[in-house]
Amino acid sequence: MANITLTGVTKFYEAVQVIPPMDLHIEDGEFVVLVGPSGCGKSTTLRMIAGLEAATGGQMHIGEREVTHLRPGLRNCAMVFQSYALYPHMSVRENIGYGMKVRGVPKTEARTSIENAARILNLTEYLDRKPAALSGGQRQRVAIGRAIVRDPDVFLFDEPLSNLDAKLRVEMRVEIKQLHRRLKTTMVYVTHDQVEAMTMADRVVVLRKGVIEQAADPITLYERPANAFVAEFIGAPSMNMLDGRIERSDTGLRFAGATGLAFEIPPEHTVALSRSVGEDCILGIRPEHTVEAEGGIGVNVEVVDIEPLGPYTLLIGLMGDRKFTGQTRADTKTRPGDRVPIQFDPQKLHFFRAGDGAAIREDTA
Amino acid sequence: MSVRNLRGPRAWIAFALCCVWFAFTVFPLYWVAITSLKTPPDVVGGPTYLPFVDFQPTLKAWRELFSGIRGEFYSNFWSSAIVAVSSSFFATLLGAMAAYALVRFPFRVKLLSGVLFFVLAMGGFLAGRYWLGLPPATASILSFCGALALSVFANRLALPGKVMMNDDIVFWFVSQRLFPPIVVAFALFLLYTEIGKLGFKLTDTYLGLTLAYVAFSLPIVVWLMRDFISALPLEVEEAALVDNVPYWRIFFEIVLPMCRPGLIATFVITLAFTWNEFLFALFLTNSEWQTLPVLIAGQNSQRGDEWWAISAAALVAIVPMIVVAGLLGRLMRSGLLSGAVK
Ligand SMILES: Nc1ncnc2c1ncn2[C@@H]1O[C@H](COP(=O)(O)OP(=O)(O)O)[C@@H](O)[C@H]1O
Ligand SMILES: [Mg+2]
Repeated sequence: MANITLTGVTKFYEAVQVIPPMDLHIEDGEFVVLVGPSGCGKSTTLRMIAGLEAATGGQMHIGEREVTHLRPGLRNCAMVFQSYALYPHMSVRENIGYGMKVRGVPKTEARTSIENAARILNLTEYLDRKPAALSGGQRQRVAIGRAIVRDPDVFLFDEPLSNLDAKLRVEMRVEIKQLHRRLKTTMVYVTHDQVEAMTMADRVVVLRKGVIEQAADPITLYERPANAFVAEFIGAPSMNMLDGRIERSDTGLRFAGATGLAFEIPPEHTVALSRSVGEDCILGIRPEHTVEAEGGIGVNVEVVDIEPLGPYTLLIGLMGDRKFTGQTRADTKTRPGDRVPIQFDPQKLHFFRAGDGAAIREDTA
Repeated sequence: MSVRNLRGPRAWIAFALCCVWFAFTVFPLYWVAITSLKTPPDVVGGPTYLPFVDFQPTLKAWRELFSGIRGEFYSNFWSSAIVAVSSSFFATLLGAMAAYALVRFPFRVKLLSGVLFFVLAMGGFLAGRYWLGLPPATASILSFCGALALSVFANRLALPGKVMMNDDIVFWFVSQRLFPPIVVAFALFLLYTEIGKLGFKLTDTYLGLTLAYVAFSLPIVVWLMRDFISALPLEVEEAALVDNVPYWRIFFEIVLPMCRPGLIATFVITLAFTWNEFLFALFLTNSEWQTLPVLIAGQNSQRGDEWWAISAAALVAIVPMIVVAGLLGRLMRSGLLSGAVK
């Protein structure tokens, strides 16, 4: 049980800065997910917490202890890897028990722990098998079992579900969440999959090029993204981004889009946007906040593809040469090649500054 | 497309070619085998090929071999076996350790400190010989240790010049095998003799021969094991590191078992080398720890060209290697040597 504090932690590989100074505080018992595109430094950050990579600068605390220069074994973290990293020559029982054997835990006590972990993870019948004789999901459960019996201060997961098929991934997601509820131990979880991040986390930390773009609970991230990057990264399919300008109109403010889109900005946005009059900005609208309908705020798109998903259907359209994804009813008659109007939900518009992508909202002023 | 898929005349051609190749490889062995069964007149009286048809086989050569009237056959066999197996074992173990270190940890050796070692070792030796009047062995041991300590220390200083990395070190290891073995054998003989004068006998001892074999096998072991170890997944070791497993346990309990196929292959290759080795054994042993190859070569000179006796001894030397090769083949077929890393 411990909180984790990173203070100005940096990482250089040779002369390349992979992590600029990073400050991050993770509460005791919190489930934090680090998410971001591939190569953004998630694994590096996690491995620095584990001690597998030395931080180039800054300080790191786990609980009350300063661990910046401590070797991995003394940090009392348990880590689960994407490749499972099981010991191939040991049975499941030996894999789970190896750490305890090395620490000199008495045999009977170790036995109880192993069997307890196996019960939690439904591994009891496989205890005497070698990893090669297990499925991917079972192997990952063994890796988690190995972490549980460590009774660590912190659990670290590096894309643990990426090698599993989609169905198993959903099941394991639930299992890991249940495990967190049961153990109440601090967990830091790395993934490139925003769905995994949203569904599992107490708090999601979105990284880009080693920089924390936003750290917040999933709903805040979705509803109030700090910038265009977070807005586009969180949510599937991605938020549509339309270039334009904020202009003053007779009654208030107007959005003049680059692709012929122009509308009166709804009053709830005008206070924040009035500071950006005359500036280029980006309008963001999520596909799930659009409908196939005439009138209101909206655009006309040329449909190039439809994706029926069951409850609703996605329209993949083109506006000029830009892609636009809209949502419509499952029973739509629209076919590829049609030209259809898409209406936006005026409550759900997002505006971002064109320069740095920062969100323009009352709370970001 | 495999030979197994061929049909009709092509299959027969392939089969015939295989037979030719088989005859080509097996004939020398066959020749040695029948020669060991011949009497002296059969050997010198022109070639004969088929026992009972061309000539009357006799077990005379074999009886003489096992009765020990042509050198201490049993003792040589056991010397060979003990030295070969133990030196291969230690070479594989030490080489695996070196290879692991070279794969997992970056080393930086400054060229200048290497030069310093060379200069200090040579200079120290000469100084010890001529100024202090030390015996050669004492002088070389002292100067070697002194030079090693000083150059290791010097390596930590900020020396200018080229820095050698792991690949250079591996090349240096392997390059030990590039110069003619006779040079090493001769130098080792002199060194062992000098150390013997200090009262520590190395020539014709188990320790002396084994040490020489281990040293001479290490380059190839390091080279082979480096490939096997670098194929291991790093994350398995990292998982152990996070679990606070000490490095020596990671090496012995995780790394070695994971590269068991590589260890077996390397051990067998080293064993073949040490079992067949002739030159070092010739220089460094004479009676107590003389090995089979030396005995076989000796057959020729002791009483003239007694090919029947030489053939019998040669067969005894070949058979263990055939057994080992057969075992290795079985291991490979059973999949023990493949796919251990998952
Ligand atoms: N050992 C290394 N040497 C040099 N660069 C590295 C090394 N490991 C990672 N990097 C670089 O650091 C960046 C972050 O890597 P990583 O943390 O693995 O990303 P991810 O978010 O996909 O886990 C990448 O650009 C990668 O190229
Ligand atoms: Mg990664």
